[in-house]
Amino acid sequence: MINFNRVFAMIYRYWLAMKHSYDRLGDMFYWPAMDLFIWGLTGLYIVKLSTNNQNIIIIVLTGLIYWLVIWRSQYEITTNLLQEMWDRNLVNIFASPLKVSEWIVAVMIFGFIKMVVTVSFSGILALILYSYPIFAYGLYTIPIILSLVLTGWTAGFIVAAFIIRFGQKIQTLAWTGVALISPFSVLYYPLNILPDWAQKVAWFIPSSHIFEGMREITFTGRISYDKLYISFGLNILYLFLALWFFNFMFNKTKKIGLDKQ
Amino acid sequence: MDNVLEVKNLTKKFGKFTAVNNLSFNIKEGEVLGLLGPNGAGKTTTIQILLGIMNSTGGSIQYFGKDFNKNKEEIMKNINFSSAYISLPWWFTVSEILEFFARLYEVPDRKKRIKKLVEEFELSSLIHREYNKLSSGERTRLLLAKAFLNYPKLILLDEPTASLDVDIAVKVREFLKKEQKNYGVSILLTSHNMSEVEEMCDKVIILNKGEIIARDTPENLSKTISDSKVELLIKKDYKKALTFLKKTDMPFVQEKFRFKIKIDEHKIAELLILIAQEKIEYDEISIEKPDLEDFFLQTIGRQKHD
Repeated sequence: MINFNRVFAMIYRYWLAMKHSYDRLGDMFYWPAMDLFIWGLTGLYIVKLSTNNQNIIIIVLTGLIYWLVIWRSQYEITTNLLQEMWDRNLVNIFASPLKVSEWIVAVMIFGFIKMVVTVSFSGILALILYSYPIFAYGLYTIPIILSLVLTGWTAGFIVAAFIIRFGQKIQTLAWTGVALISPFSVLYYPLNILPDWAQKVAWFIPSSHIFEGMREITFTGRISYDKLYISFGLNILYLFLALWFFNFMFNKTKKIGLDKQ
Repeated sequence: MDNVLEVKNLTKKFGKFTAVNNLSFNIKEGEVLGLLGPNGAGKTTTIQILLGIMNSTGGSIQYFGKDFNKNKEEIMKNINFSSAYISLPWWFTVSEILEFFARLYEVPDRKKRIKKLVEEFELSSLIHREYNKLSSGERTRLLLAKAFLNYPKLILLDEPTASLDVDIAVKVREFLKKEQKNYGVSILLTSHNMSEVEEMCDKVIILNKGEIIARDTPENLSKTISDSKVELLIKKDYKKALTFLKKTDMPFVQEKFRFKIKIDEHKIAELLILIAQEKIEYDEISIEKPDLEDFFLQTIGRQKHD
């Protein structure tokens, strides 16, 4: 049973950590804004160079903004775990009634809220700067975002599992770990651009089906529910495995002691 | 009285190295148990296992008659800890830290409880100060306040008064004794301050190389040592005293006119008679009875030499 008082206590803790850290606040707005400026302008330039195909700017901004959903969902899990290590607070929280499952729920909820804020901010900025409507996909946007959140959580718990086991010496993974799946997620290019072997790998990456589906809507106006179902199916399976793996590594770390991290 | 904590055959191995070997002990309601030992004796490992942040290799732990592994959540609501070797969120203020942990432990009436502990540990003037700006003594007081937030029935304290000023350390000890007396709080305490252990603890366990090498009350352990120290200040007859002491087989140290003699407690009277017979006049005398520190040093020393 999840005790939501303790879950909210952890959310309160991470909210305080964010309030006190300009880095964490900056991560929410600064980098997404910079990416939008640079890649948005690059997209505009390519549109001018090519045959004035406006779809190019839509593809670039879609890839950019919706990748944020994965990145932020992953990032919040791994950096909040690292925050406990930096503060040497792991012992305090896990030598309390808090269960690992409650910590997991807390970082999921807190990460989701921050992701919504960042994506909304980027969406508004894209609308102002490039007249790009983030909700161009209508209600289909909701399952798209949910599926990408699941991908981000899966990546987050896999990276967190390695961090809890090997500690701060691999902390760079907290920021870069998810980049491993980005080439296979086909954010900015169609799946058939990839070499054969990479296309096979991409099929197993849930986000590739989402980004392919979004491009299909942009070019044909057709919604591919099959891609959505495959994405959700893979996500649910992977998230289950990622949570099991995190729990396994957490218990493995307890053999040497959580304070050693 | 019921056992608040019962540890049976607790063992922790790291590969071939045994950090804790077959440890068994218990703490009754309202009892204070001291865990002593040199560095690397297994004290911290034991406490970490008791807090559930490290898995044991063997043995069992029961809190309040319930298996720790099966009832961790319920048990952790009723215990808490403080250690001089842990930290708290670096940028949080004193008030935010206490508020967070009060929420985590679901403390009823948390504002009132925080206010009481802030006053008790003299943190009122620091309430809006960030943790990283506190002195080490202030941090220790905050950790102790955090440890008492949830009205614990058992509290595990690892060096609770390390880095505290003497007057604050006295107040902390008084607070601990008051909590123990008024609410029957049981305490497991590790400390390098032997007088603190003697003052606070009902029972003492001495660990070395992960094993219990002695256990009893501090008084009984001290009694097992018969060596006392007699210190004499002899100004006029110090040469005569030196010749006399050399003739005896008593170990002594001379610092100018001051003679420190190590002697069996039962032979002190005999020594004083002999000194009188030799017509040696002393200006000052002090007798130091053996205490827990003597026992500890002798026991650990003997172990090291064996």
